[in-house]
Amino acid sequence: MNKKRSIIFSLVRGTAAILIALAVAALLIFVSSDGAGAGEKLAQTADAMRQLLIGPAFKSSGGISVKNLSDVLAAMIPIVFTGLATCVMFSANQFNLGAEGGIMLGAFVASMVAIYAPLPPVVLPIAAILAGALAVGAMMLIPAVLKAKLGVSEMVNSLMLNYVVLYFIKYLLNSHLADKSKGQIMSYPFQAHAAIPQLIDNGSKLSWGFVVALIFVVLVYLFMYRTRWGYSIRMIGINQDFAMYSGMKVAAVVVLSQVLGGLLAGMGGGIEVLGRYTTFNWNTLPGYGWTGITVAILAGNNPAFVPLAAFFMAYLNKGCNLMSTYCGVPSQLIDILQAVIFVFFAAEQFLSGYRQKLVVKSTQEELKRAAQEAQEKGEVK
Amino acid sequence: MAEEYVVQMKGITKVYPNGIAANQGVDLNIRRGEIHALMGENGAGKSTLMKMLFGLEQPTEGEIWVNGEKVNLSSPTVAISKGIGMVHQHFMLVPSLTVAENMVLGMVPKKSGLFIDKKKAVELTEEYSKRFNLHVDPTAKVMDIPVGMKQKVEILKALVRGAKILILDEPTAVLTTQETTELFRELVNLKKDGYTIIFISHKLNEIMEITDRMTILRGGRSMGVHNTSDVTPEVISRLMVGRDVVLKVEKDRAKPTDEVLRVRDLEYVNEWGKKMLDKVSFSVRKGEILGIAGVEGNGQKELVDMLFHLNTPNSGTVTVNGENIIGLSQRDIRKKGVSLVPEDRMLYGIAGAASIQENIISDRCGDKRLNKGLLFDMKAIHEETDRLIQDYTVLCKSRDQRVDNLSGGNIQKVVVAREFSNDPCLIIADQPTRGIDVGATEFIRKKLVELSRSGIAVLLVSADLNEVMELSDSLIVMYGGKIAAYFEETDDLTDSVMGEYMLGLNHQTPDEIRRVCHE
Repeated sequence: MNKKRSIIFSLVRGTAAILIALAVAALLIFVSSDGAGAGEKLAQTADAMRQLLIGPAFKSSGGISVKNLSDVLAAMIPIVFTGLATCVMFSANQFNLGAEGGIMLGAFVASMVAIYAPLPPVVLPIAAILAGALAVGAMMLIPAVLKAKLGVSEMVNSLMLNYVVLYFIKYLLNSHLADKSKGQIMSYPFQAHAAIPQLIDNGSKLSWGFVVALIFVVLVYLFMYRTRWGYSIRMIGINQDFAMYSGMKVAAVVVLSQVLGGLLAGMGGGIEVLGRYTTFNWNTLPGYGWTGITVAILAGNNPAFVPLAAFFMAYLNKGCNLMSTYCGVPSQLIDILQAVIFVFFAAEQFLSGYRQKLVVKSTQEELKRAAQEAQEKGEVK
Repeated sequence: MAEEYVVQMKGITKVYPNGIAANQGVDLNIRRGEIHALMGENGAGKSTLMKMLFGLEQPTEGEIWVNGEKVNLSSPTVAISKGIGMVHQHFMLVPSLTVAENMVLGMVPKKSGLFIDKKKAVELTEEYSKRFNLHVDPTAKVMDIPVGMKQKVEILKALVRGAKILILDEPTAVLTTQETTELFRELVNLKKDGYTIIFISHKLNEIMEITDRMTILRGGRSMGVHNTSDVTPEVISRLMVGRDVVLKVEKDRAKPTDEVLRVRDLEYVNEWGKKMLDKVSFSVRKGEILGIAGVEGNGQKELVDMLFHLNTPNSGTVTVNGENIIGLSQRDIRKKGVSLVPEDRMLYGIAGAASIQENIISDRCGDKRLNKGLLFDMKAIHEETDRLIQDYTVLCKSRDQRVDNLSGGNIQKVVVAREFSNDPCLIIADQPTRGIDVGATEFIRKKLVELSRSGIAVLLVSADLNEVMELSDSLIVMYGGKIAAYFEETDDLTDSVMGEYMLGLNHQTPDEIRRVCHE
């Protein structure tokens, strides 16, 4: 299939997935709304959909809503990092789902450094974030080395590892590290100079972490497309036999991709916790890792598209929150929306009939051209 | 007339999702009660055609008629209900279950509606085993029985399900000679009982022995149907491989110098216990092309696998310029200057979803000249790619085009461009021109000669008789995992002489063969 047809297919497919998801959402809102007649229900649905689609960017009066937009941008920070982490791992065909536990462990380790390490300003947050990243990089060695050496499925391992991490952190927090003077389970407060400064001080928690996230998008893109290691990761992802035959160190690269994914997820955790909170109080998995998987799939594993996909997810999330605040639509709807988009993007066979038609058309054109060329050559002879 | 045919496939075209047209307008007519051969080289479209007849794949265009009735074979279940059974090349059996349990999979006899009636399963197996004279042990576990018996189980499985038309996909590929003889006897019996058999193979002698008619496929198209008694092996081979297009490549006499590749007493027994390589010894010297001819499946593939560590030999030595390469990684083998044009170019040769450029630099991505510090030197990489695209006349829109969007010939040119350009001292070319167009074939052959004359050692493995005879300076023939003949000169060789060695009708003495070691 030629390039133009491929792009057309991707666009049609992506748009169709999103439209179907929105249609499903509209249907669910319509069914669950408490309006009296069909007309009232329809009006409520329209109102809710307006909140979902336009609310995150515009005030109801019409102007641009800076607060809502900065909320969206702030929410992008952790999912850009988990999205990047997942991109790197999935590019190597490693279905490591550990970004979720990774971001939690990264946040926890960074918090501990932020509370206890006697370090000066500027150095402290950087050291905290690096410590978080390194911890998660080391954690990912478990599924990575098991995969490379013994062929154990990294998917199962990393998935279970998320819960090991969660309960280990909960145990440490509950039994040893909790601030007993507080009514809830949380750590002692971070040292004040551990906080990452805010870009806009409007309570959105849009910190300089956003800028760091964008810098890392560029760095990861360069790594994946402009260095021999990123290149090896991608080639192994496309065809591992080819990579081996070409003389790449397949096992080492399989490990490398997952450790890198861990470093990125851990860094995201540290930045999120130091940019948004003053104490560590997560007692459940934050969900950023799962969203990161959706982001990576939407971005087609290309780091360059991660910010776009992350913005899209954060925007939808904010829209759903607004919908639940102003229109009484349950905020869990975001999960359904996400699931539907995810299903259609991940579904290999979605619109495959349409794709097959394009392929057949291309191939037949090519065969015809080849036959023509052969004939012309024959005539010349 | 329609009743004469039990199966008719009319104008079948199949385009796979990756854009490969595996069949183009193929007609296949099978008479009731005949053994019909479906012949062709690897990739000619035999398996695809049969997968459609068994409902595993659906045709893009065309019609299938069974017993004079147009059918839509949407799944194997439908095909089975129409009386079609298939014995796959790789057995579809559950190794940990017994023969009888495998026989009744999916149609299990029940005891009081709930439990598996094992006794009945055994009885059923014995009944069919007797009726068709196919002896199997119903209570043995499949993993413990020999390959020949597994195949019988597969055939019985199809028969139990009421198959009247049996498709056998390269049934002899995994069998020993004795097992093959036995299989043929059984097939003839089945034919006497009125069964129709479609026999996929590319082994000429087998086809001549047991089939009534044959349909030959080449490059996804039908080359017509013939009565076996009317054609000679020569005609068949010409139809199969298209030997009528003889490409002449000009080359002067080789002046071989130092030994580069040295293979001694290489032995390999495959996972089914079949000896695929039996004390193979030869040498390839600088500046010569040594050809390896032979009917496919006589150890050539295994030999190449050993040389590039895609498999490990049981015993024997392989050295390149005096240094051992057995057990080394592909990375280290490449460092010793060995290049491989792999037989399966889609599996090893390319990363399909990557660009031409990314496919060109796969073996040299760590080279200093292509890197600037941590980053790739994109300018150097572009230059290298563009130069190779030009030198090897790869037809493409740009270096960023996906390599699997190219035609087969251009994909192979990309592989060859990479393998020939990294300063090798030894090139192993395994079926370098299989299934590609005439232009690309000619180009690659000329390039091989040119490189050998510049002082590179070339080992050419090819099932294309024309190719090995035309290109090789000297030639060995492999048969049954052994070297059957060595010819120091190829000028006076004829097809018929080659054919005798290739089909195992003749072989040279150990002393004659030993000359290829140049000792």
